[in-house]
Amino acid sequence: MSSPTTPGNGTAASTPILEVRDVKKSYECGRIEALRGVSLSVARGDFLAITGASGSGKSTLLHLLGGLDTPTQGSVLFRGECLSETPNGPACITLDIYRARFAGFIFQSFHLLPSLNAIENVQVPMLGGAVHPNHREEKARALLLELGLEHRLQQYPTQLSAGERQRVAIARALVNEPQVLLADEPTGNLDSVNSAKILEILAQIQQRHGTTLVMVTHDLNIAATAHRHIAMKDGQICD
Amino acid sequence: MRLSFVGFAWRNVWRRRLRTALTLCGIGMGIGAFVTLVGFSRSFEQAWLEMYANAGTDLAVVQKTFLNTSVDQSAGAVLARIPQIAISAPMVINMMAVTPEVNTLVYGWKADTFEFSALNILQGRRFRDGQQEAMLGELLAGSLNKKPGDTIDLQGSTFTVVGIFRSGSALEAGAIILPIDQMQNLSGMTGKVTAFHVKLKPPPPGISPAQWQKQAEDAVEKELPGLRAVPAAERAANNQLVLLAHAAAWGTSLIALLVAALGIANTMAMSVFERTKEIGVLRAMGWPRRRVMTLILMEAAALGVAGGAAGVALGWGALRVLGALPQTASIASTTLPFETLIDGLLMAILVGVLAGSVPAWRGAQLSPVEALRHE
Repeated sequence: MSSPTTPGNGTAASTPILEVRDVKKSYECGRIEALRGVSLSVARGDFLAITGASGSGKSTLLHLLGGLDTPTQGSVLFRGECLSETPNGPACITLDIYRARFAGFIFQSFHLLPSLNAIENVQVPMLGGAVHPNHREEKARALLLELGLEHRLQQYPTQLSAGERQRVAIARALVNEPQVLLADEPTGNLDSVNSAKILEILAQIQQRHGTTLVMVTHDLNIAATAHRHIAMKDGQICD
Repeated sequence: MRLSFVGFAWRNVWRRRLRTALTLCGIGMGIGAFVTLVGFSRSFEQAWLEMYANAGTDLAVVQKTFLNTSVDQSAGAVLARIPQIAISAPMVINMMAVTPEVNTLVYGWKADTFEFSALNILQGRRFRDGQQEAMLGELLAGSLNKKPGDTIDLQGSTFTVVGIFRSGSALEAGAIILPIDQMQNLSGMTGKVTAFHVKLKPPPPGISPAQWQKQAEDAVEKELPGLRAVPAAERAANNQLVLLAHAAAWGTSLIALLVAALGIANTMAMSVFERTKEIGVLRAMGWPRRRVMTLILMEAAALGVAGGAAGVALGWGALRVLGALPQTASIASTTLPFETLIDGLLMAILVGVLAGSVPAWRGAQLSPVEALRHE
């Protein structure tokens, strides 16, 4: 396990793709402090696991890294540019743009849209964007084929197994070719066989595409498969 | 399968089929009411227009006041001296009950008026001035089962039916025409008329019909202060009966549309609430707020379009029923004007978008994290 502020793969000189600087996050007018001065640096292509008990702040940290939330204090940087809710100068990138172009999210509960089948679910992130409709379908199909779902394209979420659903969710997260993939307990709802399969897929994606992977898990065995592992306790990185 | 933005919105609308169907019923009723009432009032206006056009009436001379259309009959002599006017015909119009269920328009005309040229007498003959005689439009005669020789009671007076006529105007087809003196007695308008219908002479060379008509209007208003000469088309659109019909139609329709709008607003608010987590997922996938808002507005508009289509069909059916009922057959046209169809659909979309705007705005304001935590 490496130091929390040391970039991954032991290459201290590599440019951080994500950086968290003395971040604090509190709720209910400061009564609840989810993060208490966290600093972290993640290198391009790194695979970082974040572990900790419930309420330790690991999911809050993941949300900040994924641009789903903003810190109460401190800053989050992507490739040296700060993430901000609204346009805030040339050195900043808005959260909407960051999430749409650079980050992909995988959830524990998959969060597939029930009214859409597998291939349609994967197209959702591209809807209303610049990708041509024909190209949208091609990209979604190619990703689902890559993830071994060629026979399940037309199936609705309720017709898919939990492992298949998570693979569709992974395809959806990858469809905009993100540089950072953030996974919140991606195997939390899966049996051991499917968990292993999903971890294998994530590792392959990370290696093949050089995607930076940040994964929250409570399972130390899963965390051990990452390049780096940080543990959180009471809103701080403890080792 | 290719997924489009519109297809996605449409799919969302149909996820709760029963609720959507009930909402569509509400919108359909509102738009149906709009199409029926506004279509009815426009048919009424159209019938007036046809009546003037068929008789070749160019101008109507009426009082300047809005509701009071009582004009002294002596004005006819003044009109006869105006060089642009070929002929003028005094007329009285009123609405009267012929049975407890049926009210109809009753005209008072002179027996020699030029307006008879627009009528085709199917049975019997024209009435004579000063006699208690009546002519019935064929639609009314059919519904009352009257023929020449029968009698009809109006305001306590008995009239002999002497003729049945056909007219190109639905108003006249369902109307009664009496000698003007008899009508003045019935209406308490001795020496007074509702209006003069005027036919102009052909314009002399070098003067356009529009200029000629304008000269006639100016001459009437100069010679008869307090009266105004109104082009027939304007008189058709702006007479007090048509204006009241339009006002009543729009007023009642707007109430129905308000109820429909509340239905859409409720459906969209529920839909946004139920899909809070999904909206969080969309935001997490990089959908900006405006795209979420567009999606929800599109869903509301889709409800409006579908409900509007149902409402237009319903309204068209209602107009056909009104066109078949004896009480309303003389006024209602069974054809749905294209203008009313377009108005109905546009109104439905507008109602949908307006009603969906608040839920859409609220949906778009959701923070991704808060939305994802929603249970």
